[in-house]
Amino acid sequence: MISGYLITILIIIVIYAMLAHSLNIITGHAGQISLGHAAFFGIGAYTSAMLYAEAGFPFWLSVPLAAVVAGIVGALLGIPCLRVRDDFLAITTMGINFVVEAIFLYIPFFGGAMGIGGINLPKWFGREMTKPEYFILILVVFFLLLLMDRRLGRSWIGLAWASIREDEQAAGAMGVDVVRFKVLAFILGSAIAGLAGGFYAHFLTFIMPQNFGFGQSIVVLSMVVFGGIGTRWGPIVGAIILGILPEVSRPIMEYRILIYGVLLLAMMRFQPGGLLGSESILSKVFRRTVYRLSSSE
Amino acid sequence: MVRSNEFGVRRKRLRTQHFELRTKFMLWQQLANGIAIGSVYALISLGLTMVYGILRILHVAHAGIYALGAYVGLLSFRLVGNFWLSLIVGMAGAAVAGYIVERFLYMPLLHLPRIAPLIVSIGLFTAMEEAFRIVAGPHTLAYNARVGLGDLSIGSFHLTETQILILFVTFAVLIFLWAFLTKTRTGLAMRACAQDPETTSSFGVNVSRIIAINFLIGSAMAGAAGVLIGVYDNQVWPTMGSIPAYKALAIVVLGGLGNIPGTVLASIVVGLAETFFIGVLAIPFPRDAVAFVAMILVLMFKPYGLLGKA
Amino acid sequence: MKCRGFLFSIFVFSILSLTALAYGQDIPVGFFAPITGPAAADGASAKNAVELGLKEVNDAGGISGKKINLIIYDDRMNPQEAVAIANKLIEKDKVIGVVSGSYSAPTRVTAPIFQKAGIPMVAGYAVHPDVTWDPREKKPNDFCFRNGFLGEIEGAAAAQFAVKNLKAKKVSLIFMDNDFGRAISSGFADRAEKLGAKVLTKQMYKFPGEKDFRPYLTRIKEGNPDLIFAAGYYNEAASIVRQAKELGVTSKIMGEEGFDSPKFLEIAGPAAEGVVIATNLDRDDPRPLVQNFLKNYRKAYNEDADMVGASSYDAFMILVNAIKKAGTDPKAIQKALLETKDYNGLTGKISRFVQGEVVKPVQIQVVKGGKFHRLGVVDNPEIITPPTKQ
Repeated sequence: MISGYLITILIIIVIYAMLAHSLNIITGHAGQISLGHAAFFGIGAYTSAMLYAEAGFPFWLSVPLAAVVAGIVGALLGIPCLRVRDDFLAITTMGINFVVEAIFLYIPFFGGAMGIGGINLPKWFGREMTKPEYFILILVVFFLLLLMDRRLGRSWIGLAWASIREDEQAAGAMGVDVVRFKVLAFILGSAIAGLAGGFYAHFLTFIMPQNFGFGQSIVVLSMVVFGGIGTRWGPIVGAIILGILPEVSRPIMEYRILIYGVLLLAMMRFQPGGLLGSESILSKVFRRTVYRLSSSE
Repeated sequence: MVRSNEFGVRRKRLRTQHFELRTKFMLWQQLANGIAIGSVYALISLGLTMVYGILRILHVAHAGIYALGAYVGLLSFRLVGNFWLSLIVGMAGAAVAGYIVERFLYMPLLHLPRIAPLIVSIGLFTAMEEAFRIVAGPHTLAYNARVGLGDLSIGSFHLTETQILILFVTFAVLIFLWAFLTKTRTGLAMRACAQDPETTSSFGVNVSRIIAINFLIGSAMAGAAGVLIGVYDNQVWPTMGSIPAYKALAIVVLGGLGNIPGTVLASIVVGLAETFFIGVLAIPFPRDAVAFVAMILVLMFKPYGLLGKA
Repeated sequence: MKCRGFLFSIFVFSILSLTALAYGQDIPVGFFAPITGPAAADGASAKNAVELGLKEVNDAGGISGKKINLIIYDDRMNPQEAVAIANKLIEKDKVIGVVSGSYSAPTRVTAPIFQKAGIPMVAGYAVHPDVTWDPREKKPNDFCFRNGFLGEIEGAAAAQFAVKNLKAKKVSLIFMDNDFGRAISSGFADRAEKLGAKVLTKQMYKFPGEKDFRPYLTRIKEGNPDLIFAAGYYNEAASIVRQAKELGVTSKIMGEEGFDSPKFLEIAGPAAEGVVIATNLDRDDPRPLVQNFLKNYRKAYNEDADMVGASSYDAFMILVNAIKKAGTDPKAIQKALLETKDYNGLTGKISRFVQGEVVKPVQIQVVKGGKFHRLGVVDNPEIITPPTKQ
C-alpha cells in the first residue's frame, strides 16, 4: 500500500508540472513574459471550488468549467496585454496577479480572507475517490495534455508559434497573425493553469487567496526557468526536481524560498536556457556522453 | 422660549464650528501623512526610474537594496547610536550593493532579451528577502532613532519628528539630484546616456562609468528610504521590500518610465491618494492597490504615464 | 569492498531497529507550528512552550512510565505543507494525538484530515470556526478541539468590559482584513451596540503588511471616541499604539490576544502603557501552575511567555491529560476530551467543551509599568458560551 504521504507529494508534483507546462506555453511558445500566472491557477481553483461548494456542481463538471473560465479570462486579459510593450507587459501581468488576489480577498462572494472550504475529492462508483485513484486521474489527464501539446507543436499553430518566438517582426512580415497566435497561447496556457487549479482545489479541500499570489507565480516561474523556458520537458523536469527536493531534504525545505531565488538568479545569469536548454551543462555532458558511447563502439 | 432657542442655536453653531475646525486640522494632518509617505515613495522610485532610463531594465531587486539600507542603517545605529550616521552608512551600504548588482548581474546580461535581467532581478530579490530572514531573524526589529527635534504641534495637528526628518531628507536629496543632473557634466552625460547610449559613447563618454554612478546614486536614495521608513514605523523586517517592489513599479509607470520629475509627481500623488482614500473618503479599498489602480487609470488617458514621452 | 558495504548496511540496520524499538516504547504525539516563514516568531514561541511542557511531563516519568515522543513539524504558515504534514503524522509517524501550535489556515486544512483518520487534535490558538465544524457536512469535527477563543466571543467579551467597566460610550474599531480580524470586530461591535454604546467608525486594514496607520488614526481622532478597539498581531499593535501617541490621540486603546506578546511591549515602548487587552493568559494568576510556567519559560528561553506559547502549552497539556486518563487509543482519548469538565488550564479553567469549543472566562489585562497585569475577567455565561451550531 503506497503511503498517503508519498501520494500527496506525487499529486502536488503533477499539479505543479501541469502549471509549469502551462506557463511554458505562454513564455516559451509565445515568448511573453507572464509574471502573474498564479492568477489563472487561482481563477481555476476558485471557479471549481465555488461551482462545487456553492452551486453543487459535481467535480466532473466543475473542473473542466474551471479550465474554460480561466481560458476566457486569459483571452480577455491577453488581448490588451499583448498590444503592450515587453516591460509594461511584465508589470501588467504582476498587476493582474495582485488584482485577482485582491478580488478573492476582498469580495465576500469569494469567501474573502477565510477562503473556501469543503471542497472534496470527486465521487465515482458511488464513493469518494481515494488519493491514489486521484493521482492516476490527474496523471492521465496530464499525459493527454502532453499528447495534445505534441500534436499542436507539429501543426501549423506550432510552426506559427515557433516563428513568433524566433523573430516576432519577421514572422509578422511573413504574414503570420502574430497577435492572434499570441492570444491563442495565452488562452491555452491559462486554461491549463485553470485546470491545474481545479485539481488543486479538490485535493487541498480548502483554498485561500494567499495561495495564488505573486509568491506562487515565482515558484512556478522558478520551475520553468530551472528546467528551461521553451523546452518541451524542461518545465516538467523543473517541477519534479523542485517539488521533490524540499521533501527529501529537511535543510532544503527550510531554505526553499532562498534556493528558488538563487536558482532563478544563477540560472538566468549563467544558464539562461535552463537545465534542458541547448547551452546547459547538462545537455553538454549528455552530448559528450552520447558521443563517447557511440564512438567507443 | 425665544431666548433659550437663540442660545441653543448659538451653541449648536459653535459646536459645528468646532467640528469644522477639527476637520480642517484633520485634513492638514492627512496632508502631512500623505506627503510624508509620498516622499519615501519618491526616494525609492527615483532609483528605479533612473535605472530603467539608462538600462531599460526593471530593477525589481531595487526593493531588496532598499531593505538592505534599512538593515545596514539599523546595524550601525545599534553600534553608534546616532541617526545621521546610520543614515549615511545605510545609504553607503545600499550604494555598494547596487553597484555589485549592476556590475556582476546586469552588465553581463545586456545582450540577452530583457526577460533575462528581469528574472535575475526577481530571483535576487527573493533571495535577498530570505537572506535577511536567515541572518537577522524573522522578527521585526525596532529602529528607535531620535534626533531630539520634537514634534511641531499646532492645536490638533501634529507634524511628528519623523515626518519632519523625512521631508527634510527628501528635500535635500531632490535638490542634490536636480543640481547634479542639470549643473554637472556627469549629470549631463547621464541624461545623454538615457536618451542614446551609443551616440553618447561616441562622444567620448565612458558609458560604463556613467551607468555605475547612476546605480550608486539610485541605490543610495533607496537606502535612505529604507532608513527613513525604518525610523518612521520603528520597524525593520525581512519582507519590508515586498510591497515597495511592486508599488514603486506602478509609481514609475504612472509617472512615465525613465522620467524623473514624473516619478516624483507620481509618488506624491500615490501617497496622497492612499491617505485620502483611507483617512478622508474612508473607502474600504486595499491601500496597496491604489497605486496600481491609479496607474491603470492614467495609462488609459496617457499611455506613457503622467509626464512620459514616447 | 563488497564486504565493507555489507557490514555497513548491517550496522545501519541494527541502529535503525534499535531506534525503532526504543521509539516503540514511546507515545507519539504530533505538533506543528510556523517555525519558519512569516509567522516564525509565534511558531518559535509555541514550540518553546510545548517543549517546556514536554520536558515537564517526561521528567516526571512520562505517562505510566512511557515517555512522550513529540514529533515536531514546521508548516511555514502554508496550508499546503500542513496537508503534507498531517498525512505524514498519521501514516509515517503514527501519532495518537496532535497539538496544533499554528494559525487558522494550516490548522483548518488539517482538521478534516485528522477527523477522518480519527486522531484527536487540540488547537492552541487557531481561531477559524471550521477547525471544529465541518461546513459541508454541517456537523462538528468531533475529534478537533480548540483551546483558544472564537473571534466573536473574544470580541464580545472585550466589548462587555469596555462598555461596562471602562465606561466607553463611543467606540471606534480598527481591524485587520483576515478572518480573525473580521470575526472579533463584528463580535465587539454587536455586543457594544447591544449594550448601548455607539460605534463611530469601523476601519479595516490590509494584513499582513500595513505599517502606516496614521491615515486611519487621524480619521479616528476626528470622531474623538472614548475607546479604540484595535485588532492586530504584535507588529500592527505596536505601530497602532505608537502612532496614536505621536498623533496625539487621547482615546483609550483596547486590543486583543494578538497584542499579548513581549514583542509588542518591546516595539511599542512607553506608548504601550495603559493599553488594555482581552486575552487568555493572566500574569497575576496566583495559581502555581501559572507562576511556575512564567518563571520556567523565562529561565529557559530568556524571554517572557506570550499568549501563543501559553495557549499551545495548554493544548498540549489538555491532550496529555486525556492520554493519562484514557490510554493510547485515539478513540478513547477523544472520549476523554469530550468529557472534560472543569479542567484547570494554564490559560484559565475550562468548564467544558461545546462542539470542541471551550467555555472559559476571558482575561482582561492592562500594561502597567511595561508589563501585563490583571485588570479584570469576563465570565458571563451568555458571553463566553460558544453557540451550538446545527
